[in-house]
Amino acid sequence: MRLSKALLVFRKDWREVGRNWEVLTPIALVPLLFSVVIPLIAISAPGQVNTGTSREVLIESIMRGAPAGVMEMLAGFTEDQQLTYVLLVYMFAPFFLLIPVMASSVIASDSFAGEKERKTIEALLATPLTDGELLFGKMLASFVPAMAVTILSFIAYTVVVDVGTYGLFGAPLLPTLEWFLLIFLMTPALSLASIGLTVLISSRVRGFKEAQQISVVLIIPIIGLFIGQGTGALTLGPPVILALTALLAFFDLLIFRFSVLLFKREKVLTTWK
Amino acid sequence: MSRQLSEIITEGLTKRFNSFTAVDHLSFEVGEGEIFGILGPNGAGKTTTIRMLASLLTPTEGTAYVGGFDVVDDSLKVREIVGILTENPSLYDRLTAMENMEFFAEAYGVSDRQARSKKIRELLDFFDLWHRRDDKVGTYSKGMKQKLAIARALVHDPDVLFLDEPTSGLDPRSSKDIRGLMEELSRREGQTILLCTHRLEDAERLCSRVMLINEGGMVTIGTTDELRSQIAGTPILRVRLGEVSETVVDAVRSMEGVEEVVVDGNTLSMSVKDADEVTPYVVRGVVMAGGMVQSVEVLKPSLEEIYLKLVVDEDEAE
Repeated sequence: MRLSKALLVFRKDWREVGRNWEVLTPIALVPLLFSVVIPLIAISAPGQVNTGTSREVLIESIMRGAPAGVMEMLAGFTEDQQLTYVLLVYMFAPFFLLIPVMASSVIASDSFAGEKERKTIEALLATPLTDGELLFGKMLASFVPAMAVTILSFIAYTVVVDVGTYGLFGAPLLPTLEWFLLIFLMTPALSLASIGLTVLISSRVRGFKEAQQISVVLIIPIIGLFIGQGTGALTLGPPVILALTALLAFFDLLIFRFSVLLFKREKVLTTWK
Repeated sequence: MSRQLSEIITEGLTKRFNSFTAVDHLSFEVGEGEIFGILGPNGAGKTTTIRMLASLLTPTEGTAYVGGFDVVDDSLKVREIVGILTENPSLYDRLTAMENMEFFAEAYGVSDRQARSKKIRELLDFFDLWHRRDDKVGTYSKGMKQKLAIARALVHDPDVLFLDEPTSGLDPRSSKDIRGLMEELSRREGQTILLCTHRLEDAERLCSRVMLINEGGMVTIGTTDELRSQIAGTPILRVRLGEVSETVVDAVRSMEGVEEVVVDGNTLSMSVKDADEVTPYVVRGVVMAGGMVQSVEVLKPSLEEIYLKLVVDEDEAE
């Protein structure tokens, strides 16, 4: 596989995505909601955030798997501080995983399926680019914007949380080790898994919307993580994040291999609307 | 294995989609520098044939070689030497003409920046699109998109060109330019062109040979003259005289190469085996028999008539 050719596909898609409001709008709005609007509500009225369970039960269940140091720190906090800390540092973490999954699945759904819909796919498939170059280029075109949006959202979230809670804590809450690991290790691995699956789906369905509808199922494991954390079954501490990242990285390799094996130009070309 | 004599060779080329046979055992050869036409109604299998030859679809049966390369085993090599104009222009509407051309030039391996820029400039100038190079293709008219798509197919100087309805959507002047370009590419650059078209006028003017296909199968193949003689037998020579006399009619009937003379007023119509050879003798014979020749005309069936006879009549017979 020639990296320069994959980068060529990436640059072309990057330009196209940058001029496609149908794709850009959800990518901009959802992160804005998660990184600015929801944390502002949580900061201004932590007691009003409906978590579906009582404060004590929520705090206790989430912190069950937290490191001992954090437990000690929480013990010295007021009830409002405890709830704010748990919500902003722990509870919202799985939500943040939705950003790269959503961004990458929107762009990746547009990859082959969008090209089919706009009837540009035949000329692309007729070029002497290999299947691997096409797939890798398309994946990069989803991965780079997804990670850029995630990192920007993380920066915005950190600023909003730290500024908004400075009065309550007298010190910045973020970033923590968990958030660093989450954003710079787990998010890329998750994003790649989501892109790999979505590109594969996108190459075998008829249009952008169909690809997007199918790729929505990728959100289910993240909701599982959220429920797991809310019920205390799983806390996103460093060991859990590292283990999930390793699992996802393995999954990424499998998906890319499968994608190359299953990618058939004829199938892509003949599955028309 | 390289086969230099013919740029395109197919043997028993077949494509089935489940139980539907789109292309049925096509065997033909196209020589280097030849403009070869594939004619047929919608759904005849023209586009599927081109897609198989461009290594976009895998044949269900049979073999095909393009530029000496097997379309299945050497698909990347085939794609490198082929330029293709697809059924749809297949251009990126959100990119400018320049961005489209740059992308495809690089994808086809035109890596030298200067050579690339020069070629793109040359093509956009030829198609009168240079002044719109920085406009998004989405703002182009259908004809402009078609021209840009042809320019894209030529950006890497391919040995073989597959053109699916190249003059579709173009005004008469642009169509004429494209036909001129195809002739030049074939004659001067030695490029082999496979042309799929509904426009019989294009095929008649450009193609050294044509293949008529219908329902995936070949109906006939040959030069337009060969096809004419297939359906009309022989050309008709029509001679208009000042006055028709029995002496003149007898003189003409007795000539070698002349068959079936019909008199209609002052006009003599006759079937001739070889119009170019027989016509001077007929004119001389008429004059020597005392006839006054006012005009001479050789009537050959047009490609349209051949097409209607061979394709439409066949469908109606079924």
